[in-house]
Amino acid sequence: MPGPMRSSERLAVLALGCLACGIAWADEPAQWLERMNQALTTRNYDGTFSHWHGGKVEMLRIIHRVQDGTVSERLASLDGSGREFIRTGAQLACYLPDKRTVVVEQRPLQEPLVGFPAVSEQTASFYDIREVGRTRLNRRDTHLITVTPKDEFRYGYRLWIDDKTAMPLKTQLCDAQGHVIEQIVFADLTLSSHITDAAFRPDVSTEGFQWVRDGGGPPRAPPPGTLAWGAVRLPPGFRMTVRSAQTLPGSSGPVDHLVFTDGVASVSVFVEIQRTVNATPAGVAESATLGSSSAFSTVVDGHKVTAVGEVPPATVQFIATQVKAEGPAPVGARDH
Amino acid sequence: MNEELDSQLSAMFDDELPPAECELLARRLSRDELLKARWGRYAVVGAVIRAERGVRLNAPLAGRVSAAISVEPELAAAAVTPVQRRAGMSWWQPVAGGALAAGVAAASVLWLRAQAPLPGADFSAARAPAVMAVPVAKVSDSYVVPPTLSVRPMVAPSTELANYVVAHSMVSSPVARRNLLSSFITSEPGAEEPQEDARAHAQ
Repeated sequence: MPGPMRSSERLAVLALGCLACGIAWADEPAQWLERMNQALTTRNYDGTFSHWHGGKVEMLRIIHRVQDGTVSERLASLDGSGREFIRTGAQLACYLPDKRTVVVEQRPLQEPLVGFPAVSEQTASFYDIREVGRTRLNRRDTHLITVTPKDEFRYGYRLWIDDKTAMPLKTQLCDAQGHVIEQIVFADLTLSSHITDAAFRPDVSTEGFQWVRDGGGPPRAPPPGTLAWGAVRLPPGFRMTVRSAQTLPGSSGPVDHLVFTDGVASVSVFVEIQRTVNATPAGVAESATLGSSSAFSTVVDGHKVTAVGEVPPATVQFIATQVKAEGPAPVGARDH
Repeated sequence: MNEELDSQLSAMFDDELPPAECELLARRLSRDELLKARWGRYAVVGAVIRAERGVRLNAPLAGRVSAAISVEPELAAAAVTPVQRRAGMSWWQPVAGGALAAGVAAASVLWLRAQAPLPGADFSAARAPAVMAVPVAKVSDSYVVPPTLSVRPMVAPSTELANYVVAHSMVSSPVARRNLLSSFITSEPGAEEPQEDARAHAQ
């Protein structure tokens, strides 16, 4: 009869158990999503892809580099408006040739630049995540992973993830019925160890452009009388993960930024004092769509509340209409 | 879904269904995916409308439905809240002519335009989940327009919308961020720019 297990033996068994779990978990479809997120955020790559939405196809180029801990990314239209996004560290510049404007957002350094949601066990309550097959795409072996929403509060994905690199070679965003809303397919994708700084310069000449910048800097303590905002109710599975005050480019005052996520989709809610120019009349709400994303704006207690997210229109409307002032904001910097 | 079942579901929402029938319907809800999806959809639309009119479902009904939809407890939780019921007020009412809920419909029109798949592409909906339901806009013709809400296309200056998009992209997942920014880049230039704002930029 074996005696009691020694500590070292227990540790060894535990380690083996963890290893076994790790191996099993590595094959899980959810793990492929994590690998994909890792690849998209940590690898150096330069690719051209087609973006389809609403019957319109446009080619874009994306360049992504992580060098000395600094993330640089450039996303540019190759045959359309000439708009570009260039991110360097905590700064994101949006070049709008059609507006002759450059919008620059500078995130506070202590604020995490990437706060995207992580797939968790809870995610499985609201999405069915499966690997439905392995297919060849562009002569590469891919895992076809489907992320299917279980209700109509959110969208789903079909992802063709490269077996070797975990890069998504093809992505479809689908509504609750499985209809494709948006598709991205890489025509070419190069993963390289080094990408030069020149790759992150805009093609567009910014001569004569208006530059709209925010003040940057750390989150500020709310002035006396400032209200703290929150959602009375949320769609199932959504929770608030970030609450911060920031100054958006061109904004006259601080804007409260609340972030709600279900682990896959996220919705930002921006609350700012209603401006007199272009003010939305009381009782009037505004809605918009931007590709697969939706926006909904309404006025609450003299504040403009705008929800933006990669979710169906009804969801941003639901969340925006549930945002209320919870009382005076606490003295001191806002929580995150 | 036949009219009788539709009517029963409506009555259940209004707590006007006899307890015995309610129990039967709750049992059916637990195993009928389409019916469950329809109930969930009511929760979405109803919640929005209730938020504007202050109408809530009552507690006994909440309990029955929660028990019935054990598979989707959070969904049930969203559909049921403490009582603020007013006698005779139903947030869901069948309308013969098919009026749309203005808020939901307006918010849905734009994205529905984008649902046509690319011809010839592999956009088969064969993998569509069984649980999936009819889009909100398709069923919203059964709802009454809240008189106080008017939804119009957003006229926010594009720079303001860009601000929101950029700020939101910072907290989106990598794939969502790429989609979002790609959509912004490929959107119609100047679609939302009001004239007075354009003049301000030119100055």
